[in-house]
Amino acid sequence: MSPLHLLEIKNLTKHFGGLAAVDNISFQADEGEIIGIIGPNGAGKTTLFNLISGFLKPDSGTMKLRGENITGLEPHKIVNKGIARTFQVVRPFRHLPVIANVMVALRSPRGARKIEWLKTIERKAADLLEDVGLSEMMLEPAENMGHGTLKRLEMARALATEPDLLMLDEPFGGLNPLETDFLTKSLMRMHLDEPTRCILIVEHKLYALMKIVSRVVVLHQGEKIAEGTPEEIAQNDRVIEVYMGKGIQDA
Amino acid sequence: MVTTYIRRAYSSFVAHVFDIPARLLAFLLFLTLLFIPFAIQNTYYLRILILANVLAIFAVSWDFLVGRTGQISLGHAIFFGIGGYITALLSSSKFFGLPIFLTIPIAILAACIIALALGIPSLRVKGPYLALVTMSFPLILAALLKWYPLNHIFKGEFGIRGLPALVPRLDWMTIGQQRVGEYYVTLILLFAASVILYKIANSKIGLVFVSILDDELASKACGINVTKYKLMGFMISGLFGALAGCIQTHLLRFANPPMFALTLSFLPVIVTFLGGLGTIYGPIVGAYIYYILDSYVLRDWLPRFLKETVGVTLPPEFDFAKLLIFTLIVLILVIKLPRGIAKFTTDKLGDLEEARDLDERGPRIWKTYKKKEKTTSTGSEPTASS
Repeated sequence: MSPLHLLEIKNLTKHFGGLAAVDNISFQADEGEIIGIIGPNGAGKTTLFNLISGFLKPDSGTMKLRGENITGLEPHKIVNKGIARTFQVVRPFRHLPVIANVMVALRSPRGARKIEWLKTIERKAADLLEDVGLSEMMLEPAENMGHGTLKRLEMARALATEPDLLMLDEPFGGLNPLETDFLTKSLMRMHLDEPTRCILIVEHKLYALMKIVSRVVVLHQGEKIAEGTPEEIAQNDRVIEVYMGKGIQDA
Repeated sequence: MVTTYIRRAYSSFVAHVFDIPARLLAFLLFLTLLFIPFAIQNTYYLRILILANVLAIFAVSWDFLVGRTGQISLGHAIFFGIGGYITALLSSSKFFGLPIFLTIPIAILAACIIALALGIPSLRVKGPYLALVTMSFPLILAALLKWYPLNHIFKGEFGIRGLPALVPRLDWMTIGQQRVGEYYVTLILLFAASVILYKIANSKIGLVFVSILDDELASKACGINVTKYKLMGFMISGLFGALAGCIQTHLLRFANPPMFALTLSFLPVIVTFLGGLGTIYGPIVGAYIYYILDSYVLRDWLPRFLKETVGVTLPPEFDFAKLLIFTLIVLILVIKLPRGIAKFTTDKLGDLEEARDLDERGPRIWKTYKKKEKTTSTGSEPTASS
């Protein structure tokens, strides 16, 4: 085990006006982990994601990737250091065909680095799309695609930069049970293929999430209230209180 | 050996050009442009087409910036004016007196660097704010040129005059022959500029430009250095904008402050919306339509027509009405054909091509379909559902 954590977050804080959206959060992520970040609405999960990916600048606290300070870097620099993300609301490039969406990510310095010799950018993009099961609609414009397809497309786009840390913002949101199942399976397969990659997942659908994660971080009103394996979290009184309300234990 | 090569080249040409209606149309348009000087004897009309070529280069550079990278610029005249003034200063016999084949490249590169310098601060703002910021640049520069302490250099409102011509008139040339030469020079430059911009726009870098146009945040999340690509787009566009300015300066043989005027910033907007935004070839069509409407139909044909048939002489105030007519035409076009005339035409041709493909591909399908129809219709009257 290397002494350095893949991602180390210390006392991260972000205020919006008087509201502390993320309040003094610290946690670590190591290689090969799948970590779920859960919490009720407004708990600060997406804000935390935006802080890690550089879309927001933290008020205080530090973030380190393999010991290297990445606090306050530009988003594209963070991506090129090895942290890729997807969005809660899909953001495809609507004017471009599906395959070109992935090719954009392959044009980034990190994405281009991973294109091996004698393998064109188109081949690489096609391979990535095959991995998420979109090879049949490669040449269709992205604006004709459905929501579930776009979610998968975003994942292929994030994977194009071959990140060490993949952050998925509500990947199951708006998917039907079949698509949820497909995504769960492809996440598991991805974990087997790239055992060192760490995956952070923000999710509401606990049922789908709990099956795949190895560790869960629970946020509530910007604070971290619990951390542990899915079994521990399910037993945690504070978590149950936050999710179900206080009266449930008395009843 | 040679004949087989020619035959093969011809067949590939037929396959590439004659099989695709849109390309055939483009090819025919190109041929028309190539042979226009033989059909038009009037030097005034030829002059209109020469200026249309210049405007087309300018508008294509604007279309590349706005239609392909999404950075709205309403001050594109700055590149036009800067290119024109730099080549004017360098080539004027009162200052440096350099030959124009040196001054034009220098002016273009200088405009490219100025585009970078202007882009770094202004690309921090987005959308309408960027449009306002860019709109202010040419106005500031025009004011600076008219500032009297600098009059001994820029000659104020009068401008720098007496510059070398784009196509020098040799002893044996008539003015018509000079115009023909100018026409071909501008046409070649237009062709080169639009092909280069089209190639860039459809290359892999062009993909990144379109991704920034579509969703800047998502481009950042893909690891794209958005600022770098935006500056690149700004510089490429400024380069070709300055080229148009240089050509016009040496065509008219003077550079004056109206080269920075607001009208010149809005002209590429009008022309691009006429032709089709983001298409690169649209503005060329748009520029020709604009100049034919403006200089031929409204200035020449309409007054003559009214005088001869109705007996009405148009008052000199008609020039203002001309602007009104133009605004009206553009308004109607934006509502009725938001994709522009050229884009609309190629889309229609694309549909045609698809239909023809279906026809060629599916005679068998057609036959079986018809057979089915027959068998169902033999017994009773065919219904809509069957």
